[in-house]
Amino acid sequence: MSFSWINMLRGIALAGLLLAVEPVRAEYLRIQLRVYGLDCGLCARGVSANIQRMAGVKSVDVNLKQGLLEIVLLPGNTFKMSDLRKRIRENGFRSMEATVTAVGEYKGSKFEVLGTGESYNAGSPDSKAPAPVELTFDVR
Amino acid sequence: MPAWGDGEGPAFGYSTAILGPGNASIETTFMWRSGVTMFGPQLSYGLMENLQISVSASFHLDHGDLPTGRFTAMMPGDPQVEVILGWRFFHKSPAIGTRNEATLYGGVSALTQDVPRADGPPLRRQPGYYVAAAAGHVSRRYDVWVGAGYQGYGTWSRGVDDRQSNSVLTSLVVGWRPPFFDHDYPKPDVRFFWETTGGVIGQAQRGVAPPGSTGGHDEGTAPPPPPPNSSGIVVLPNSGGTGVFSGPTFLCTYRSVAFQGGVLFALWNQPNGVQPSEKVRAVAGVTYYFLRGRR
Repeated sequence: MSFSWINMLRGIALAGLLLAVEPVRAEYLRIQLRVYGLDCGLCARGVSANIQRMAGVKSVDVNLKQGLLEIVLLPGNTFKMSDLRKRIRENGFRSMEATVTAVGEYKGSKFEVLGTGESYNAGSPDSKAPAPVELTFDVR
Repeated sequence: MPAWGDGEGPAFGYSTAILGPGNASIETTFMWRSGVTMFGPQLSYGLMENLQISVSASFHLDHGDLPTGRFTAMMPGDPQVEVILGWRFFHKSPAIGTRNEATLYGGVSALTQDVPRADGPPLRRQPGYYVAAAAGHVSRRYDVWVGAGYQGYGTWSRGVDDRQSNSVLTSLVVGWRPPFFDHDYPKPDVRFFWETTGGVIGQAQRGVAPPGSTGGHDEGTAPPPPPPNSSGIVVLPNSGGTGVFSGPTFLCTYRSVAFQGGVLFALWNQPNGVQPSEKVRAVAGVTYYFLRGRR
């Protein structure tokens, strides 16, 4: 086996490329959450400000009449749905069903938002789809 | 946070709302009752889910000879520093924009100003306590709250028997958000209430000073006191009374600020002795909220 500068440079370039490409993270991207009990402007402001303060949250919109929170999250967040529900409960309200867009992987029949420990029954896995996948699904 | 410009509910009566953990509010309120003017700043802080602490320091700007006792839910009617814990022990949110809640309040207080009396020198200052309960239903269109509380007074030291009037306050509040004001957040949120309060204010008492002692009282200017009872205590006839007041109040919130005010009119008022009758009570206040919660 002979030493080749060209092969060595190819190896270094390949290793650098692998290191430079950021792995696709699993995360929540968008959450539309129904909340019961929001009856006033201050309630909306309180919940909105509290959620806005959670790590990874980009924006929060409140629709009082429909009792809906629309939460957009920053890339690379470590946001957890369970923390969101807890925050809402602490403020005196009740979180209900949600429509969630997240990046994750199927583990068996469950769609898991990797790194959060949270998984959902979100349809059937597509065997041809690359992992991780972005998926929008309803959470009851 | 209930009462005195609370941003959530009525101006005079009881309500149930509790600040979330890490949230805070500061409010300033003027209250006027037929010649008596009071000013009351209050700080409130959400300690944890369903538990809130409030500290208020109401004081007289101008005083009269009306019966003194509690006539708003979250502020004492006498000039005193008061600390109240509010515990929302029940809450359900059965639908969009709807909540059913119940809250208990307990507090302690200390008088900070002498309360002038027409029938003699001011009573010596005492500590007090306060317990109350409220329950209600809130929604986007209608609110209803009922509540009752008891304000009592003790003594700083044995043998000092001066007491301000103990009092019971009850309230029924009906709120309405007219369709015209039923805007979505973050537009201003306006609600109107019809508040009715019923109060029973007990008679104040004066401990009789031992012979040769003024006991801190300005006995030289006081009229002759009524005779003491068998315990040596003079129950002051010109103190206390009963009354029912009713009237409209409003609440407007925009962003982190709440404006609140209203007027209650006497439906029935029966002060004891020769005290003047009270016709009108009014409140105006502003509250600022720090709704950042905790990290």
